[in-house]
Amino acid sequence: MSLFFMNFLNGVSLGMLLFLISIGLTIIFGVLGVLNFAHGSLYMLGAYFCFQFVSLSHNFLGALLLAPLFVALIGGVIEGTLLRPVYGRDVSFQLLLTFGVLLVLDDAVRLIWGSGYHIVDPPAFLGGVVRLAGFTYPVYSLFILFIGPMIGLGLWGFFRLTLWGKKIRAASMDREMAAGIGIDVNRLFTGVFMFGAWLAGVGGTLAAPLRAIGPSMGEKIIIESFIVVVIGGLGSFPGAFLGAMILGLINAYGAQYLPKATMALPYILLAIILLTKPRGLLSKES
Amino acid sequence: MNGGVTKRSVGLVAAALAVLVVLPFVVGTYFTMFVTEIMIMGIFALSFNLLFGYTGLLSFGHAAFFGVGGYMAAFLLIHGFPSLPLALLLGTLAAGLAAVVVGYFSVRLDEIYFAILTLGFGMMFYTLVHQWRSVTGGSDGLTGLVLPPLGIGGFQVDVSSPRAFYFIVAFFFIVTILVLSRIVASSFGLILMSIRENKERTAFTGINIRAYRLASFVVSGLFAGIAGGLFAVFDRMASPSMLHWTASAEPVLMTVLGGAHVFFGPVVGAVLFFVIEHVITQFTDIWMIFLGGILIPLVIFFPEGVLGTLLARRRGKRFKGSGGDKA
Amino acid sequence: MKGKRIVGKSLVMGIFFAVALVLTLGGVAQAKRPIRIGSVYIMSGFAATYGKFAKNGLNLAVQEINKAGGVLGRPFKVTFEDSRAKPPVALRAFRKLVYEKKVDALIGLDSSGVALSVVPVLKELKTPLIITHAATPDVTGKKCNKYAFRVSANLSQNVQVAARIAAKTGAKKWTTIGPDYAFGHQTWEYFQKYLKKLNPNATFMTTTAFPKIATEDYTPYITTIMNAKPDGVIISLWSGDLINFVRQANKLGFFKAKFKVLMTLGAATEVLYALKNQMPTGIWVGTRYWFLANNSPVNKKFIKAYKRKYHVYPSYNAQNAYAAAYVLKAAIEKAGKVDKEAIVKALEGLTVEVPVGKITIRAGDHQALLDVSWGKTAADPKYPIRILKPIVTFKGAEITPKVSETGCKR
Repeated sequence: MSLFFMNFLNGVSLGMLLFLISIGLTIIFGVLGVLNFAHGSLYMLGAYFCFQFVSLSHNFLGALLLAPLFVALIGGVIEGTLLRPVYGRDVSFQLLLTFGVLLVLDDAVRLIWGSGYHIVDPPAFLGGVVRLAGFTYPVYSLFILFIGPMIGLGLWGFFRLTLWGKKIRAASMDREMAAGIGIDVNRLFTGVFMFGAWLAGVGGTLAAPLRAIGPSMGEKIIIESFIVVVIGGLGSFPGAFLGAMILGLINAYGAQYLPKATMALPYILLAIILLTKPRGLLSKES
Repeated sequence: MNGGVTKRSVGLVAAALAVLVVLPFVVGTYFTMFVTEIMIMGIFALSFNLLFGYTGLLSFGHAAFFGVGGYMAAFLLIHGFPSLPLALLLGTLAAGLAAVVVGYFSVRLDEIYFAILTLGFGMMFYTLVHQWRSVTGGSDGLTGLVLPPLGIGGFQVDVSSPRAFYFIVAFFFIVTILVLSRIVASSFGLILMSIRENKERTAFTGINIRAYRLASFVVSGLFAGIAGGLFAVFDRMASPSMLHWTASAEPVLMTVLGGAHVFFGPVVGAVLFFVIEHVITQFTDIWMIFLGGILIPLVIFFPEGVLGTLLARRRGKRFKGSGGDKA
Repeated sequence: MKGKRIVGKSLVMGIFFAVALVLTLGGVAQAKRPIRIGSVYIMSGFAATYGKFAKNGLNLAVQEINKAGGVLGRPFKVTFEDSRAKPPVALRAFRKLVYEKKVDALIGLDSSGVALSVVPVLKELKTPLIITHAATPDVTGKKCNKYAFRVSANLSQNVQVAARIAAKTGAKKWTTIGPDYAFGHQTWEYFQKYLKKLNPNATFMTTTAFPKIATEDYTPYITTIMNAKPDGVIISLWSGDLINFVRQANKLGFFKAKFKVLMTLGAATEVLYALKNQMPTGIWVGTRYWFLANNSPVNKKFIKAYKRKYHVYPSYNAQNAYAAAYVLKAAIEKAGKVDKEAIVKALEGLTVEVPVGKITIRAGDHQALLDVSWGKTAADPKYPIRILKPIVTFKGAEITPKVSETGCKR
């Protein structure tokens, strides 16, 4: 029973990280119509920037503030110079282009920080452990469990209550109409991409104390993020949350109950959901 | 957009054919193998493009059929199966069978959902091959294939000779081109293209969209299986990496790079991909940053793929020229 | 008029000198044509650190050898290729090196899957390959062949030591956490086989954990194994995965639990450097070369040179690649000529002293007999990383199965 409970916590905290990475992906797709293959690399950049800031200043919270901003800036450059020419083209071109971006970022990281692994410590007040159901459990994971929904709620409020949020939602429903009512679509697109990149950066920064930071760490996460946003419903915000939770829990309980099948489980789940709900669980269209 | 083979291109093809025949006698062993691999990947990419360029379905799990074809052939040959052509044929059929199953479920979906669903199926096959140690060798794959000699008209050809295998692959490459170009120019191909252009309108004419898509999916899977079988023979192994999603990405990248809406686009893409990689790895092992740095401008400046855009540009010039004559 | 003649004269002189220069240089080049080595490792992706270390080690050895006059008066020249951890890519690289670059010998390989697919093709490439990392017993076992040699400790040697240490701990009920591919499963299978022989009372649990390669989150596996309450756990995760695992296991109190923990590749320096003081102390860890395991002059010289050049202590992958260059040098000198078949012959039964110790390449299966060291992790203010204290070293002959037991038939 306690193992069941522990793996519930494990699954949910993994789900929270997946959620943070996936919402950026789903927002970018929802508004720009671009499936960003390099999103995992932006997450990776978040982790590396976090490592850099923490090793310079020993201040994790400062890194949490700064690292995602740097990622957002890089996102802005990518959107402004590379993505803009391919809007409206077939999704395969965007995949190829963002794949090119992924290759460049992966190698750039290796050239700057080397091919070895780095680790980041959580701040001291989050570094401890608590006892739960006969296990010790890291405070930092509880922090993730807490901050995930906070960021989720913050985003929800942003989209529902602020002017920018409403503009973004309008643009994601109908780009032409948005332009018609005087929204500067170019600026909006840049803003949204930077925002998505920022979220990936937040994911990377928050993941840094839990993961070994190494080359190509973004490639592992990108397919999982694709699965999350597709089973949740592309462009859907609550869908990304639901998808991330499902994937996180499947990972945790799979390890406990079906260890031989963990590799296939996410894909089997994906197929079942897409065949029963072709647009994902919480899609806007169905 | 013209799917078929025009008269002009027949001349080009004849020239290409001549080059193909002479090539292994003028270049060294490695380049013979280099071109062999390009032709195999060319078959793979062409098979993918029947589905993508002509039917409008972006498969991100096509490596499953490439892999099934490869594993079947490798499995037979490793257990002493005496006939290479038969092993390839059975590999192809196995790939076709896998395509029937995957296609049956997948063709109901469109666009990105189709892409992700095929990715999911592809990764299921990958997992199967990776985990089924007793049959597929697990992560190690099936390695060290021993190739039976090929009997052609009384001669015993040693298939492991790079030049002999080059011609075997060239044969399949040409057959693939002939068959697929026939298919896309046939009424079947025209229906596929009209499904791509407008699914609803095509359905109104009483055409069973799903059946046509499935047929396209299976043909595409069959040819991917041929490519996979040849690849396994070429590398004397079948490894799980043949089925990974990164392997599914390869024909996508080649096709988009070359041009999905011209028949030879995927082949040009395969050539470009291999040549670019070869040149880059020649002088550096941080090849990713250079490959990415070349891919990005290619995508931006060639909106129809490299071959597609070049052809469109020439056609555009010619039209402009004729317009000038009239004035 | 006169000017013209001078021009003409100097032109003739110029041509004469140029030709003379080309001829002498050509002559020198002829005599000093480098001995070409082709080298294939993982240079990109999540395990790129292996390729980096191997490259460092090999480059250092080649520099030393060339500075000391080369081999038979000719320098070594290495061409590196990236295997990307994918068998087809690695095979393409091998073909390029042999057919296009015309290399005289090959050194390389990290991944066992890659090694198993490339080794059979060596019979076509007809070029000796010295494997320095890939640990699958099969390339010097049932898939062995004339051209494949290995100078690094393989899985069975390493796990044999693990089993001996495990037997001494007295722990009875064992389980494992390992990567979900051949390496992880074989480690567990060999461990059971060897430990059962040493300690017939040992039992092996059905609750095991095989997370897939590059798993990000190990917590469910860790809690599941802890909950199963074993007496001992053998862990065969490596590199980035091991780093991830150790950090997450620390937080869950894994190393403070009652069971014994053995990590077959826990003493790899890339792991220790990344984890620093987060590596728990008092844990038995293995490696394929531990830089403090012996005090031989060869080892000391290597550590000093490596540290000066790369500012870190050498990892096992660096030592293994470094050793391969010296083994190749010894083989060519023994053969007396740079000829592939002669090198193959010379490699068989060859004994060379390299940093890890004196190693002998068995003629029967081409596996090197070498010392394998394990140790308990310990803190030492003199080192920036955890070191091993005490260190136990087993002789190669003691821990290597007989050739007849390896399945190697040539």
